[in-house]
Amino acid sequence: MTEHLLKAIAGIIDSDTISEKKPSQVSPFLRLAVAVFTIILCACSGNAVFVITVLTVELLRLAFLPAERMTHVLKRLALPVIFTMLIMLPAVFLGHQSTMLTVTLKVAESVLILLLMNERLSWKEVTGVFSEIHLPSVITMTLDTTVRFLVMLGRLASRIHEAYLLRSFGHRNDRRRMSAAGGILGTVFLKSSRLSQESFEAMLCRGFNGTYRRVDGHKFSVWDTGYLVLVPVLVIFFIITQRAL
Amino acid sequence: MHIPDNYLSPQTCAVMTAAVVPAWTISIKKIKQSLPPEKVAMMGVAAAFSFLGMMFNVPLPGGTTGHAVGGTLIALLLGPYASCISVSIALLLQALLFGDGGIISFGANCFNMAFVLPFVGYAIAHAISPHWGKNKNRDLVAAGIGSYAGINAAALSAAIEFGIQPMLFRDSVGNALYCPYGLNVSIPAMMAGHLTLFGLAEVVFTVAILAFVWKAAPEFTGEKTKTGLPLKILLAVLICAVPVGLLAEGTAWGEWGADEIAATGAGFTPKGMLHGFDFSSMIPDYSLKGLPEWFGYILSAAIGAAVLIIAFRIAGSMISKGRRHDRASA
Repeated sequence: MTEHLLKAIAGIIDSDTISEKKPSQVSPFLRLAVAVFTIILCACSGNAVFVITVLTVELLRLAFLPAERMTHVLKRLALPVIFTMLIMLPAVFLGHQSTMLTVTLKVAESVLILLLMNERLSWKEVTGVFSEIHLPSVITMTLDTTVRFLVMLGRLASRIHEAYLLRSFGHRNDRRRMSAAGGILGTVFLKSSRLSQESFEAMLCRGFNGTYRRVDGHKFSVWDTGYLVLVPVLVIFFIITQRAL
Repeated sequence: MHIPDNYLSPQTCAVMTAAVVPAWTISIKKIKQSLPPEKVAMMGVAAAFSFLGMMFNVPLPGGTTGHAVGGTLIALLLGPYASCISVSIALLLQALLFGDGGIISFGANCFNMAFVLPFVGYAIAHAISPHWGKNKNRDLVAAGIGSYAGINAAALSAAIEFGIQPMLFRDSVGNALYCPYGLNVSIPAMMAGHLTLFGLAEVVFTVAILAFVWKAAPEFTGEKTKTGLPLKILLAVLICAVPVGLLAEGTAWGEWGADEIAATGAGFTPKGMLHGFDFSSMIPDYSLKGLPEWFGYILSAAIGAAVLIIAFRIAGSMISKGRRHDRASA
């Protein structure tokens, strides 16, 4: 489970470096805002029609992604969808099949929107959005370094754990396990404090003065207009579907 | 041409499924052997075209409707084996998700539309134009004739399957248990539409898309693999235009519900239909409750196209990985 979680977090950073994402043509802020807005509308929707329609559009977007990225998205989508279905399974036995379907569809739609957004936006662009909306620098920095350090320290803990397993033979009792876990965590803690000190010093050397500022500003483009138009379209469609049903 | 459940006896369905299984097996083997993985991904786009083509209903005087299938088109673009699998998957999606075509009769539908249609169409087109690809005009004429022959061969096959039911399966008082119409009714009824308008629809669908693809979408024929903008636009146009199929009122011959069949001239509802297999799909008849019919139709078309493209692209990626693994282990 921990390994899966680490992989998921590492994916955020790795996807930036591996796929070499091009800078987003649409303003990252608009992308993030429309994605969150659509998720909120879907959550508020009292029927499945709005959710199915949004899900259909997202599926079409997914269909034209390169095969590798599509598989990447689908693999990540599968777990929450299956998990939701299992949680909602009792509803089926109680005679509420539609409840299970609606909740699963909403989860699938929300996760798919975020995953597709992540495919288009790099982590740097997401942190850029935080500074754009004037989120205090300390929060942006904490979030950014937390994600990066989680990956690095997680990998370190995993490697130490693997080393411990390789050199331990025979029956291991609980006491020894506890002491091993304590050792791993202690090493990771010491390493983390050293790493944080080093990275802070490196940031100071590169002129960091405590404020996060964006180096490249996004210029308003035709694509942004399209995204802006999406908002009233979504609202109108939401109202129609809620009134009609 | 989508045979619903309970029109054919379970025995007939079992025989038809047994007949189509070797076709599927050989097709999958041939695709794995000879079709490049990127072309497997294109099978999804082709299956989406077939799926959309089947949503454009064409009306015929007398209240019946029919549609193009696009099996010959896929066979000419990607080969008959690819067409067999593409149309089968499109039919499976229609049956499971939209209730178009039966679950038990899925094998029979695949035999007609995914096996007979593309193989006959492909064979005839290549017989007329043996040097395929050298003379585009000749190829288009051959594709038109091939697709016409293919859809009619499939319709004849379906008509025979319908027509033999009253001969083989009757109850104690002599009434048909399943499809009540014999060969003398089923063959003329099915062929009248397919020899005229539905056949023409298949020809237009095949020739128009083939000509467009040759001109604007080299990813189907050349080395390019990414789905180009013209193909995406064509798909979008077809998805948005599917409500045209709703203009055709009435039900296709042999696709009536159990409550309708008595009124079609049979005079009774066969017992096999009254107490037969019943499957409720997620989006029955391509419509969502409470939504205008046209919107449900567009949504269904988009869902179908997206699911087919995703499924085949994943299959293509898996085949590609498998081949890399084979090469590495060799």
